[in-house]
Amino acid sequence: MAQSPPRSGRPPIQQLQTVANLLETPALARLYAHILQHGPVTVSEVLDELDIPQGTAYDYVQNLETAGLVEKTRDQRPYEYDAESIALTLSTDGETQTITPALIAAVARRDEDEDIDVYIERHGVDGLAVALEYAYEYVDGTVNHRIAARELDLSALEAEIILQALEPVATEYADAAT
Amino acid sequence: MTTVYIADTGVFVRCGGPDRDKFQRLRRAVRQAGISLRVPQRVYEELGGDPAADAYPSGNMPYPDGFEEGWIVVADELDYSNPLVSTVMDEARRFIANETDRDEDSIEKADTALVGLAAQLLDTANADNIVLLTTDKPAGRAVETLLPQHGFGDCIDFRYVSVEYLETLTANHFR
Repeated sequence: MAQSPPRSGRPPIQQLQTVANLLETPALARLYAHILQHGPVTVSEVLDELDIPQGTAYDYVQNLETAGLVEKTRDQRPYEYDAESIALTLSTDGETQTITPALIAAVARRDEDEDIDVYIERHGVDGLAVALEYAYEYVDGTVNHRIAARELDLSALEAEIILQALEPVATEYADAAT
Repeated sequence: MTTVYIADTGVFVRCGGPDRDKFQRLRRAVRQAGISLRVPQRVYEELGGDPAADAYPSGNMPYPDGFEEGWIVVADELDYSNPLVSTVMDEARRFIANETDRDEDSIEKADTALVGLAAQLLDTANADNIVLLTTDKPAGRAVETLLPQHGFGDCIDFRYVSVEYLETLTANHFR
């Protein structure tokens, strides 16, 4: 008999599949990031805030619930949902990267912020994750675009563009990163 | 009293993209106030130095219009033989290394050029006051901290150029 998995302890590979989906589907990522920041919320509250078709939003919430990333916090209609924070650390050949809610939120912005979209096209989501680390420092005032450019091997202009694009995410998630 | 406004790369990146509202707002404010923005040589090089940045909406910056219209100008070259300029830039290198927790050797002239230009303008009496418009917080803090130590106490104004700053900018900010 299958055991129901513990609440925040989804098996890692299953989590990986869901997280891969989040990274590939900006609208799903936006939904998740919104519930994480503003939950508990109802789906209709989410629809007021995000430009996602109603049917899609209900499907997405169900996907996230099945994956254990969001859960119902109110069992009567209208249902309310809250999200579980993610921290999935991947290691390959000595390189390690952690997928955090802030990274999901950054990817979620690629639909509305073309600078982020172009950066992912050029440097991948791994590149974006590294840039996000610099964006925290940029917000703190402990790096500038010139130092970031040299350390990331970008032009100063490209570094300033991505740091400004990630500034809202880094500001919003600053507490979670420290 | 002459106030000189120094603008950094980040100001123009903030104004980039297909929506030119912020750039037009900046242009209107600067022209109504009858001032111009001084851009260090290094910043001028950064702005035009990377064709790859054209792929980004924010890399598409209308700043050349500002040069044509004369309200953005390139500042004089830094005069390293001026002892104040070289001293302040040395101090800025240490200051920025400390602020950013980096090795001093990794801080370059590009990082300290804004500080050097501010010192040069004040020292050569080209400016009584300096307003520094930048997104480079370490450089902004360096200007605010170091120049008062050389007798320029009340003449420095570091403004962090956020989205909100540009969205609410008027000519009064330059008076």
